[in-house]
Amino acid sequence: MNVRFLPRIGRALLLPVLALLAALVIGALVMWISGDDPIKAYQGLFSGAFGNGRGWASTVRRMVPLILTGLSVAVAFKAGLFNIGASGQFLMGTVFSVAVGLYFAALPLAIHLPLALLAGVLGGMLWGAIPGALKVYTGAHEVIVTIMLNYIASLFTGWTVFAGTQGQAHGPLWDKAAGAISTTPDIAESARIPLLFAAPYRVHTGIFLVLVVVIFIWWLLYKTTIGFEIRTVGQNLKAAQYAGMHVNWTIILTMLIAGGLAGLAGAIETLGVNYKFAPEFGGAVGFAGITVALLGQTNPFGVVLAAFMFGALDAGAAKMQFDAGVSTDIIQIIQALVLTFVAAPLIIRTIFRLRQVDGLMKSAPGVSWGK
Amino acid sequence: MNSKRAIGVFGLLMSFVLLIGACVAPSAAPSTTSTTTETTAVTETTTTTDTAAAPAAAGAFKIGLVTDVGRVNDRSFNQSAWEGVQQFGAANGLKEGDDYKYIETKDAKDYAENIQQFVDNGFNVIVTVGFAIGDATAKAAAANPDINFIGVDQFQAAEVANVAGLIFHEDQSGFLAGALAAHLSKSGTIGAVLGTDSVPPVVRFKEGYEAGAKYINKDIKIISVYNPKDISQAFNDPEWGAATAKQTIDQGADVIFGAGGNTGNGALQEVAGHAGLYCIGVDSDQWETVPAAHPCLVSSAMKLITPGVQDLLTLAKDGKFKGGNVFGGAGLAPFHDFDAKIPADVKADLEKIDAGLKDGSIETGVK
Repeated sequence: MNVRFLPRIGRALLLPVLALLAALVIGALVMWISGDDPIKAYQGLFSGAFGNGRGWASTVRRMVPLILTGLSVAVAFKAGLFNIGASGQFLMGTVFSVAVGLYFAALPLAIHLPLALLAGVLGGMLWGAIPGALKVYTGAHEVIVTIMLNYIASLFTGWTVFAGTQGQAHGPLWDKAAGAISTTPDIAESARIPLLFAAPYRVHTGIFLVLVVVIFIWWLLYKTTIGFEIRTVGQNLKAAQYAGMHVNWTIILTMLIAGGLAGLAGAIETLGVNYKFAPEFGGAVGFAGITVALLGQTNPFGVVLAAFMFGALDAGAAKMQFDAGVSTDIIQIIQALVLTFVAAPLIIRTIFRLRQVDGLMKSAPGVSWGK
Repeated sequence: MNSKRAIGVFGLLMSFVLLIGACVAPSAAPSTTSTTTETTAVTETTTTTDTAAAPAAAGAFKIGLVTDVGRVNDRSFNQSAWEGVQQFGAANGLKEGDDYKYIETKDAKDYAENIQQFVDNGFNVIVTVGFAIGDATAKAAAANPDINFIGVDQFQAAEVANVAGLIFHEDQSGFLAGALAAHLSKSGTIGAVLGTDSVPPVVRFKEGYEAGAKYINKDIKIISVYNPKDISQAFNDPEWGAATAKQTIDQGADVIFGAGGNTGNGALQEVAGHAGLYCIGVDSDQWETVPAAHPCLVSSAMKLITPGVQDLLTLAKDGKFKGGNVFGGAGLAPFHDFDAKIPADVKADLEKIDAGLKDGSIETGVK
């Protein structure tokens, strides 16, 4: 297919849209083979995500943290870094913000809430800086280090709320009133993000903050020297070095930004939705960020669209199961297929006979294996 | 040539999308109830009660079940509770998929939203399975006083009119299992491989088991091990269960109690590989659910979830539903193939203990 006639934005959207479409079709085939009704399922999925106010609210609520973890992975990609650690950075952001949210309850909202958000960003930055620094000073590959740090973050954050059974000491943030359950108490009212719509259409105003962050990251990447350096390091490390850029500092800075974004995701999810932390909340949003970043072609606005899609898929899942009796596993299958197709664009290119045209992604974004 | 084919594929996909789109449109029409609430909902005080009450009057008796994180066919809690719903449905001429259905929970964060699906669609009774979903159940019940909730394994600290917590005297069936284990043990050492101790019923099983064993033989050595992982994994760790059972056997245990979902099942299967040893299952009659354990499985310490759910549904249908804690049956499962190998005096003793536990003359000492 000749796509030369499409405007530039259309070409940029073509591959992700086709990937999603192909994933939905294969998902339908899987449902059909396992004896379910795919049309009924997709109807349910659609009406669950967009059918009424609560569906929209659920979609938007799920989109918010995905935008931030998606941005986290996307920014790292720009510098040629593969941030698998958004999950751990998300968890650290969660626990840092919850700690601030639990204490200092005497502060007014105007001070307490920004402080709690900032704590989340710092927690994520800390967890992002470690792999950045280790890469620069020891050559340790960020993929390995971030994976390991995910485990450490998961166990550390679990410990902070551990209920202290079997004679072991309980964690510092554990809620005594919860008895044997490992969870923190609810955070102070003054640390909660104000709601845009109240229950049952719960959407919090953090969405505006996130949109500002998206524009800021876009500006940073494409309109500033820092962004130029980040992108240059990602495209050609040696050239960047030759041009006299501070490559080491740029790598650390990129990981700080990536970690901070994922940490902010954790903070916003905690301060706007959960109001507490329990280990079973987990850091799955961090891993989903990888798919969102790839589907969004590592473009900040593309990430927003991708996060919206994934938020809708998650939001519609329950209704899909209710209406069609299809297991929500199918959503994970679809999301995994999307990841496969965007990570291996050659498949989509072959299915749809797309010609090589400028503006269409040639391969997966700057993954630097073995650098 | 190529481009024609591509357009063909693309057209096929587009028509598929249009087809879905077209089918979605009419389904929006019946959900007028949700659009009416939408306009009023911004005023914060509006809850979903009005949506819930209206369809309930339509006549059909509808039952929804929300599982704990996991499958509806988990051979454990979820399955037992769902079978209770199914049996009630079959007995009352209800249609599966229309009048009663389930939603499997994927993520602990989705409890509330899954319950809400049934609330939105005017279900009369919502069964929620497991200790962890109790919080979401209580909140949904407060917002929807016209819907009855059955919380399997959810202890009710305060009585709420529309929530019945179906709980069990796990300590009693654990006590019987312990007594049986002590009778069967030749080495004088028995073991228990357990799910996490952050779930009170598991603790009651274990404490009851130990008390029952000591009731028969006060010098018995008991090796009880809890799974150290978080509640989200502790019941789904069969490898750990098997490895721990092996260690316990190495320390001389010849009867092992496996109590903790798939973790316990892993222990049972490990014991089954050692000739001459016994194992005891938990929750349901595991002879039916874990065939791999047949070589060692003498009995199971049961909580009769299926009849418990069925009874509560019957009460709800007859308008006799009462909130608060409801104790379901607890006891030992049949011995099956081991029936001939259990001495008559042991059986008699177990029956005596069972009667004693029920009339209060024997106490497990477990709170």
